Amino acid sequence: MMQFGIFTVGDVTTDPTTGRTPTEHERIKATVEIALKAEEVGLDVFATGEHHNPPFVPSSPTTLLGYVAARTERLILSTATTLITTNDPVKIAEDFATLQHLADGRVDLMLGRGNTGPVYPWFGKDIRQGIPLAIENYALLHQLWREDVVDWQGRFRTPLQSFTATPRPLDGVPPFVWHGSIRSPEIAEQAAYYGDGFFANNIFWPADHFQRLIELYRERFAHYGHGTPEQAIVGLGGQVFMRRNSQDAVREFRPYFDNAPVYGHGPSLEEFTEQTPLTVGSPQEVIDRTLTFRETFGDYQRQLFLMDHAGLPLKTVLEQLDILGEEVVPVLRREFAAGRPPEVPDGPTHAALVAAAQEPAPTR
Amino acid sequence: MTAMKLVAVSAGLGKPSSTRLLADRLSEATRKQLEPDQPVETRVIELRDLARDIANNMVTGFPSPALSEAIEAVTGADGVIAVTPIFTASYSGLFKSFFDVIDHTALAGKPVLVGATGGTARHSLALEHALRPMFAYLRAVVAPTAVYAASEDWGTGTGSQGDDLATRVTRAGGELAGLMRHGRTTGGVAEAVPFEERLAALRL
Repeated sequence: MMQFGIFTVGDVTTDPTTGRTPTEHERIKATVEIALKAEEVGLDVFATGEHHNPPFVPSSPTTLLGYVAARTERLILSTATTLITTNDPVKIAEDFATLQHLADGRVDLMLGRGNTGPVYPWFGKDIRQGIPLAIENYALLHQLWREDVVDWQGRFRTPLQSFTATPRPLDGVPPFVWHGSIRSPEIAEQAAYYGDGFFANNIFWPADHFQRLIELYRERFAHYGHGTPEQAIVGLGGQVFMRRNSQDAVREFRPYFDNAPVYGHGPSLEEFTEQTPLTVGSPQEVIDRTLTFRETFGDYQRQLFLMDHAGLPLKTVLEQLDILGEEVVPVLRREFAAGRPPEVPDGPTHAALVAAAQEPAPTR
Repeated sequence: MTAMKLVAVSAGLGKPSSTRLLADRLSEATRKQLEPDQPVETRVIELRDLARDIANNMVTGFPSPALSEAIEAVTGADGVIAVTPIFTASYSGLFKSFFDVIDHTALAGKPVLVGATGGTARHSLALEHALRPMFAYLRAVVAPTAVYAASEDWGTGTGSQGDDLATRVTRAGGELAGLMRHGRTTGGVAEAVPFEERLAALRL
């Protein structure tokens, strides 16, 4: 089964149609409502970004996700992304293991480097060491979740002697890890080496760019003996805005697009939808476009949509989630399931990882 | 023998423009000194036609299909002629922006001939203090002769000093042809490093 969900950047952006800017309090509470709505409309995953600078609010993802966990039953809680460069891997190990216990295993996480230069020194790090930090910190995190007592010495943090990260992961199984990258083959290589998932944000840039990274990841996943290229665990982002009539969707979304923090004041909405995976139109158009991702990237495990950025009001976002959950995702589930080869893995869940851990290890 | 690719980039804004005219003459001079033994395919890229695409690339971080094709033509050429009008004591913003959106390693080792146009010859050293350092940063191989054409040059015939525009164009074209014949010395493309080596580099 494929998993469908949403991811948020957590930006506080002025609504260009009203000139109104939500407060941080409103934005944080709205994020919770959006997450609850995701479960209500039958989505599988809610993922939050991590940022430490205005105009973004999600600096403390496990606090947010812990609160959401308490108010949901089924939703998988994830990140997009958790900064593996500037966070202490010891704290990541502890925070997410705690969240895993509280949420009864409904937790995974996506690691990323972060591309905002000034953030690194705020946490005592240097962006020029971004890749080595990502490699070393994850090597430690990986070990902390798998070995009860860790001796460690690396370049970037104080050594550990006889250290035990507590609590231990739920059922002895660490949260599933995705590695997210928009341009670094080193990170695709890292995901492949560990047999972890690879997530391509697939928004803002043309699909062929991400296609190259995912092909590399699939090939190297097989190289490191985790299975066939088709068995690699791939997640994709996407960005949509829908109304029953395509023209209404375009008319309503255009001011948000034109003023969006990331790509506003650049190409037209029409150029951008043609050149990137952004889809603005009817639910059927979103279904058709999303199904093409399989042709570009192969059968994959998780599809996350960005629904709540660029100043869209909460009411609109909740309407979008209704359409997504009621009209789009049920069709996507059916269509993606049709013709999916049996050897292609399902989206990762805690229960499946626990079951896999009890099987004998595959030969490597 | 396969044809060599010679691509001229013109940042002229008028149609026609003296910048385009200079690009054409430099291109022609280079071609003449490669042929007939070495066939040459020439092409001119007018940045004016890509002005919005270049600005959009700055905003979005990726090139449109038309800009992407132009960038591939430049980075895949055997020789590049880069000509800009001199604005406010330097290359035009459009000219610089085009090279800003190209990967900074993509022109390493590339034979490049630089040219510029302006109202008076007083700005001619902009070639040496602006264009040449920019291409040096990109690790391109820049021909020793850089050609500046002021308004007065277009009306001046062949002089006895050998420093008129036609002579400089021919000399510069010969230098670029020589660099192109010598062959491209690439900076090399990074291979995927096996992960074990990255871990080992960190002594993990």
